[in-house]
Amino acid sequence: MADAPVLVLGEGELHQNETFGRGTVNRGAVLLDCTWDGGVFESGVMAGGLFRSGTFLGGVFWGGVWLGGTWTGGAWERGFGPDGKYHPRTVHP
Amino acid sequence: MKVVLAAAHRYPDLARLWFRSVARDLLPAFRSAGADVEILLFRDTTPEGFEPRTFPGATLLAPSFEALDAVEFYEAALERQGDVLFLLDPGVFVLDGEWVASLLGYFEDPTVAAVSLLPRTGPPDVLALLARRAVYRTLNAPVFAPSFEALERWPHAIYRRPGERAAMALRARGKKIVDAPPAPAPRLADFSAATAIRIARETYGGVLGPRFETLLAEKPDLAAGAYENLLLGALFRAVFGTPYAAASGPTPFAAPDEDTHLSGSATAEELRAALAAIRDQRAFRHLVASFERSNRALTWLAAREGLTRGALRVPLVLPRARTLEARVRAAARRFVGKS
Repeated sequence: MADAPVLVLGEGELHQNETFGRGTVNRGAVLLDCTWDGGVFESGVMAGGLFRSGTFLGGVFWGGVWLGGTWTGGAWERGFGPDGKYHPRTVHP
Repeated sequence: MKVVLAAAHRYPDLARLWFRSVARDLLPAFRSAGADVEILLFRDTTPEGFEPRTFPGATLLAPSFEALDAVEFYEAALERQGDVLFLLDPGVFVLDGEWVASLLGYFEDPTVAAVSLLPRTGPPDVLALLARRAVYRTLNAPVFAPSFEALERWPHAIYRRPGERAAMALRARGKKIVDAPPAPAPRLADFSAATAIRIARETYGGVLGPRFETLLAEKPDLAAGAYENLLLGALFRAVFGTPYAAASGPTPFAAPDEDTHLSGSATAEELRAALAAIRDQRAFRHLVASFERSNRALTWLAAREGLTRGALRVPLVLPRARTLEARVRAAARRFVGKS
């Protein structure tokens, strides 16, 4: 049985320059220049920042760096791969 | 000489104002200088909003497998036949076309790879760049794409803006990237922060609601962009008589005009409230200085339309007393610095 999330981010929330680890689920929050490290991104917006690990299920990825993790859905607007190279719209990892 | 002018626009209203300026102030000057000009206008994300009749003579492009977004469009534009690729930001307006045409003379020197029209502190990017196509095509693709370096040092990785790596590589090969010399008369009107806030509002403004105002108070670039849109909106309404930067989402209860104007950026009321909430005096002073630069740019651009600044009736958004104090402090700082 999967562990219950210890932190759920919801719609209307804004987070800047924060780090979110395993056990975090995003359900609609806007993350600006944040680091995502191990949680599940279900919906919301990740603008800038670093996706270090975790699962991106849905939402918008905008201009951040994708270092690792699993992409299963969502809108890749623009961003950068683990080598720092640019990935244009729709070309998700 | 053939010049390919390439611009990527996301918003049809800004594109309309921009193209009007290009057709009036830039194209005739290039042609008088003997240059053949092709205009490529990339309609990023909302191609259906661009009415072809408002862009006569331009080739309107849309996202495709060849160019998925604006960055890829720049790469595609480099493949277009021509001598010089002129990359011009959607928020940069040419006021003096003859000056821009005169810059083509730099390419008589074979070591000149590009001329940057806007002064930058680092290597020039693609905001306003005349690039010698043959030289840029010798670089590995993607030529103009932004990138990150030293990711292992995150959050202190190095961000390279679009075009920056190309400029560095060409300089390393002994090529020159010329910075256009400063001139006493205004040559360009720079509103290049105007688009970013509209994208932000479109992408997450809806889910943030009133928190978006908080963000305006915290992020000077967004506040500067909001102010640029306030000014461009005033000009747009004076020229075309319709709202500017209206939110693209449905607004069933909105009046046809007043409620939609600037709703896709920040309305005067929203910006006024955000500015009143800024407590950091230094940040406020920088914003006042940025707004003053934008005010001058608007005055110049309005003059090209035959309008005075006063006729545009730009709403006041800065708190008067604090603005005066910021100006006095800035003047005192300059005075002390010079003495």
